[in-house]
Amino acid sequence: MTVVASFEIEYLQFLDQLGRVSQPLPGFARDPRALVPLYRAMVLARTFDTKAVALQRTGQIGTYASSLGQEAVGVGTVGALRPEDVFLPSYRESGGLLLRGVTMEEMLLYWGGDERGSDFRVPRQDFPICVPVGSQASHAAGVAYAFMLRRQARVAVCMLGDGATSKGDFYEAINFAGVRALPAVFVVCNNEWAISVPRALQSAAKTLAQKAIAAGIQGVQVDGNDVIAVRFAVERALDQARDGGGPSLIEALTYRLGDHTTADDSSRYRDAEEVKQRWAHEPIGRLRNHLVEQGAWGKNEEEALHAECTERVQKAVDAYLAVPQPPPEAMFDYLFAQLPRPLQPQRTAAAQESGHG
Amino acid sequence: MAEVNMVQAINMALAHEMARDADVVVLGEDVGANGGVFRATVELQKRFGAGRVLDTPLAEALIAGVSVGMAAQGLKPVAEIQFTGFIYPALDQIVNHASRLRHRTRGRLSCPMVLRSPYGAGIHAPEHHSESPEAMFAHIPGVRVVIPSSPLRAYGLLLAAIRDPDPVIFLEPTRLYRLFKQEVPDDGEAQPLDACFVVREGKDVTLASWGASLHETQLAADALAQEGIRAEVIDVATLKMLDMDTILESVGRTGRCVIVHEAPGCAGFGAEISAQLAERGLLNLLAPLQRVTGYDVVTPLSRLEQAFIPSVKRIVDAVHRVMEFA
Amino acid sequence: MRVFKLPDLGEGLQEAEVVEWHVAPGQEVGVDQPLVSVETAKAIVDIPSPWPGKIARLYAKAGDVVQIGAPLIGFEGGEDAADAGTVVGAVQVGQDVVTEEASVVAAPAAVSIKAAPAVRALARQLQVDLSMVTPTGPDGAASAEDVRRAASMLAEIGPRLPLRGVRRAMAQNMALANAEVAAATIVDDADIHAWRTGTDVTVRLLRALVAGCRAEPSLNAWFDGRTMTRRVIGKIDVGIAVDTPDGLFVPVMRDVGNRDTADLRRGLDAMVADVKARKIPPEELRGCTITLSNFGMIAGRYAAPVVLPPTVAILGAGRIQDEVVAVNGAPAVHRVLPLSLTFDHRAVSGGEAGRFLAAVIAGLRRPE
Repeated sequence: MTVVASFEIEYLQFLDQLGRVSQPLPGFARDPRALVPLYRAMVLARTFDTKAVALQRTGQIGTYASSLGQEAVGVGTVGALRPEDVFLPSYRESGGLLLRGVTMEEMLLYWGGDERGSDFRVPRQDFPICVPVGSQASHAAGVAYAFMLRRQARVAVCMLGDGATSKGDFYEAINFAGVRALPAVFVVCNNEWAISVPRALQSAAKTLAQKAIAAGIQGVQVDGNDVIAVRFAVERALDQARDGGGPSLIEALTYRLGDHTTADDSSRYRDAEEVKQRWAHEPIGRLRNHLVEQGAWGKNEEEALHAECTERVQKAVDAYLAVPQPPPEAMFDYLFAQLPRPLQPQRTAAAQESGHG
Repeated sequence: MAEVNMVQAINMALAHEMARDADVVVLGEDVGANGGVFRATVELQKRFGAGRVLDTPLAEALIAGVSVGMAAQGLKPVAEIQFTGFIYPALDQIVNHASRLRHRTRGRLSCPMVLRSPYGAGIHAPEHHSESPEAMFAHIPGVRVVIPSSPLRAYGLLLAAIRDPDPVIFLEPTRLYRLFKQEVPDDGEAQPLDACFVVREGKDVTLASWGASLHETQLAADALAQEGIRAEVIDVATLKMLDMDTILESVGRTGRCVIVHEAPGCAGFGAEISAQLAERGLLNLLAPLQRVTGYDVVTPLSRLEQAFIPSVKRIVDAVHRVMEFA
Repeated sequence: MRVFKLPDLGEGLQEAEVVEWHVAPGQEVGVDQPLVSVETAKAIVDIPSPWPGKIARLYAKAGDVVQIGAPLIGFEGGEDAADAGTVVGAVQVGQDVVTEEASVVAAPAAVSIKAAPAVRALARQLQVDLSMVTPTGPDGAASAEDVRRAASMLAEIGPRLPLRGVRRAMAQNMALANAEVAAATIVDDADIHAWRTGTDVTVRLLRALVAGCRAEPSLNAWFDGRTMTRRVIGKIDVGIAVDTPDGLFVPVMRDVGNRDTADLRRGLDAMVADVKARKIPPEELRGCTITLSNFGMIAGRYAAPVVLPPTVAILGAGRIQDEVVAVNGAPAVHRVLPLSLTFDHRAVSGGEAGRFLAAVIAGLRRPE
C-alpha cells in the first residue's frame, strides 16, 4: 500500500486536573505571578456569569448562556490577543469578551435585549455575539483576508463550539482560510454538549482538531481547562498567522458545567453524577491549586478577589438597571447609514404610538 | 465613447470603481483568471491583481460570509454569485448578518457589500439557472435590491451600489446581458438608488416593470402606440427601497396600472406595488390593477421558458382589459 | 405537583428571608409574574414565576428563612422537573381549551353598484347616489360618464335630505312590509244612515272592528313568514294611525273588545293628546294585533293601506259622504262610510276577509 497522506494531532497540557505541572511550563507561565491576571479574569468571569444567571431568574435579563466550567478557554484565548487583533465570539464567551474590554454593562444590555450592548466602547472592531451557530467562521476569514490584503500584522480569532464544527459554514471557512493562508485562528471550545446532543453524536472524527487536516491547516488539541495550555497554543497560532504562516485550528477540551441556557434543564438529558465528576476538573480550582502551591496566592488574596469581583459585578448591574428603555423609533436608527425616505413615515408612526411624537 | 452591452457596462463600472477606490475587492467563483462565466469581470485580475480579484472555492455561503467580514473591516467587497439558482446558501449570511450588522451594533460595524448575480430566464440554460428571486430579497429589512434594465442603468446603478455604505443585492437580467448595446460614457457618474425612472411618458396607462421584462414592456408600449393608446413606462430599478411616489404620481394621471414581472405572481414584488397603490392611490384608479407575471409554477426548463416569460401579447392584452374601464 | 425551588440569587448567598408573598394557593399565575419578595443580605429581590400555573402550596411564610435550592412554591399538576419546554425565551402556556363552531358561509348579499374607485370618488364629489346611475361600463360597472350623466339629471332636482326620526321609521317599516306581505284588498261601503247625530265615528269603527274579529278571529293574529307560524290572538289591541305634523304614529288601544263606549272615548282622547305632546311611551306604540286607518278624516274613499307585520289586517275608513243609494228600488240619499280591508293573504283567506268585512259593515249599519 502507498500512503499519500497521514496526520498526527498534538495534545497539549501543562497543568493536570489537580493543578500539578505535567510538563515544563512555557516561558510566560514560569513566574506564577504572571498567571495571576489570568486567574483574576477567570474568577471575574465566573462571578459575572453566576450573577447573570441570577438576574435571569429574577426577571431582569432574558435568556442567558452561561460559560460555567469553560472560563479558561475564553480567558486563555483572549489573553494572547493583541488589541489590534479582531475577536469573533460565539454566544457562550462571557469570560473572553470581558477580558477583551467589553464591559459587563454592555453584556447585560445585550442579554437584556438591547442592541446598545453590542456597541462596544473598547474593542471597536470585534464582532458581536454570534447566534447562528458557526456563521462567524466565514466572517473571521473575511476579516483575516482584509488584514492580509492590507499587509497588516493582525489576526482574526474565532471561537466556535463543538456543534459548530458540524456546520457547513465552519468547513467552508477553514477551507478558504487554508487555501489562502489567511491570518486566522479558529478555536473550537469543545464542551462536549450541543444543547442535548453529546459529542459522540456530533461527529465520528476522533478529534475535532483533525478537521483542520481536511482544510490543509494545522490542528492541535489542548486541555481546555488548563488556561496555560490554551494561552500557549493560541499564542503560538497567533505568531504563526502573524508571520504569514497561515491559519490553525485549536480544539480546547472542556465541559459545560451549566445548562445550555437559563431556559434549558440539562438534567433531562444528562447524568447529574457525570456533571458532579467533571466539577473536579474545572479550570479555576486547578489554577488556584498551582498558584497556591507556588506560593503566589492565598486565602487573603482569594477573599479580596471575591469581594472585588462581587463589587465590580454589582456596580455593573446597577449601571445596567439604570439604563432607560430605548424609544421605539430606535428600531429605525442604524438600519441604514441614512434612513431612506420611504421609512420616515413608519419611524414617525412608531414614535407617535409611544407618545414620543 | 463605446457602445457596450450590459455585461461590458458592468465590467466598466467594476474597473472604474476599483481604480478609484482601493478598498473595492471582487470575489466569487471563476471571476479571476476566467473573468467570470459571463465575462463580467474580464481583465480585472490582470489589472488589479489576484489580491483584489480572487477566485473563491465553490462555496456560496462562504462568499457571502467572507464579504461580511471584509466589509466590517472597511473593504468594499463586490461578490459574484454565479447564478441566483445558487444564491440560497448565501441567504443565511444576508439575512442573519449583512442586513443587520449596522443595526445590531448601533453603527459600530457596518456592511458595505454588493452581492451581484445573474438572474432570470430566457437563455436556454439548464435547470435552476432561470429563476427570479427578487421578492425574497426585497422582504429583508436592511438590504437594497437593485435591478438594471439596460447597459446605461447597469453602469450607473452598480457604481451607486458599490458606493452605498449598506448591503445591496444587485440582480442582473441574464437575458439582457448581450441583447442590445448603448453608448455608456465611462465617467464614473452613479445613477440614483431608491428612484424609479420614467422611460416613456404617456397618459392612458402606467406600465411598471424592471429587469428583462422592461424590454417586453417597451415593445408592448410600441404596439399600443400604434392603436392610439399611450402608455407611460416606468423602470422600477430599485425594488428596495421602492420609490413609490413616482409610481403614484404616474397612476394619479393615467388612472390605470399594469405591473409586469417575470417572477411568479404570488407574493411577487408586483404584489407590494399593488398593495401600496391600493393604500395610497386607490381613489385615482379607474380600472382594476393588472399584474402580468410568470405563472405560479416552477420555472420550466428551456423548452417552455418562452411560454413562461410574460410576452408582449400578454402585456398588450392586459392593457386592453384596463382600457375598457373609461 | 411541580415544585419551584429558591434559585441562586448570586453573590454566593445561601439563603434568603421571605418578606412578602404576592400570590396565594389557588391563584393562577402567568410566567414572570412576581411570586414573592425575599431579602438577601444585600437587598430585597422579587422572584418571578418560571412558568404559568395554579399555585398549590407555599413552602414558607413571611419571616421564614429559605435555603437556596429548597422548595419555595408548589404548582398544581405536571411532573417534578421544571420543563420550560424551550431553550430560549419563555413560551406562554395557556389552559384554555378552544372549540370552534362550524360556521356556515352566508349566501352573498345583494350586489350593490360596481364602480372603480375613481368613479366612486367622482360620484361623491358630484353628490350622485350610485344607485341612481345606469351602468354602461364593462362587467356591469358604472363609468365616469354614467356618473356625469346622472349628475346632470339630478341637478334639476332638489337636494337630498336624509330621513330622520318618525319619517325614517315609516320608510323602514313600509319597506319591510312591502317586501314581506302578500297584500290583497276588499272594498265595500257601510250605510250609516241610521246613525244618530253626534255619533262618535272612531268608537263605532272600533266596535265594528271587534265585531269583525269575533266573526273571523284569524284577522286578529300575528304571522311569521320565516318560521311559517301564526298566532291567533284573543285580546284585540288596535293600532290607530294618527297623523301629526311630525309624521305618522300608530299608538295602540289595548283590549278594545272589553271596553265600553265611554272608556273607548276617554282612551282615544288621552291617546291623541299624548301623541300630540309626544308623550307616548315606546311600548304603547308596539304590539297591536290589528290596525285602523281613518284616513277619510282627511280625504279619500278607498285605499289599499299597508299591512304592518306581524299583524295580518288593516281596516281603512274613507270619507263619509252623502251618496245616492238604492232603497227598496228607489233612489235615496244616505250617508255612506267607505271601507277598505287590506289583509296578508299568506295568513288570511279571501273568505275570512270577506266574512270579517261583512261583520264590520253589519256592526256599522246599526243605529248604535
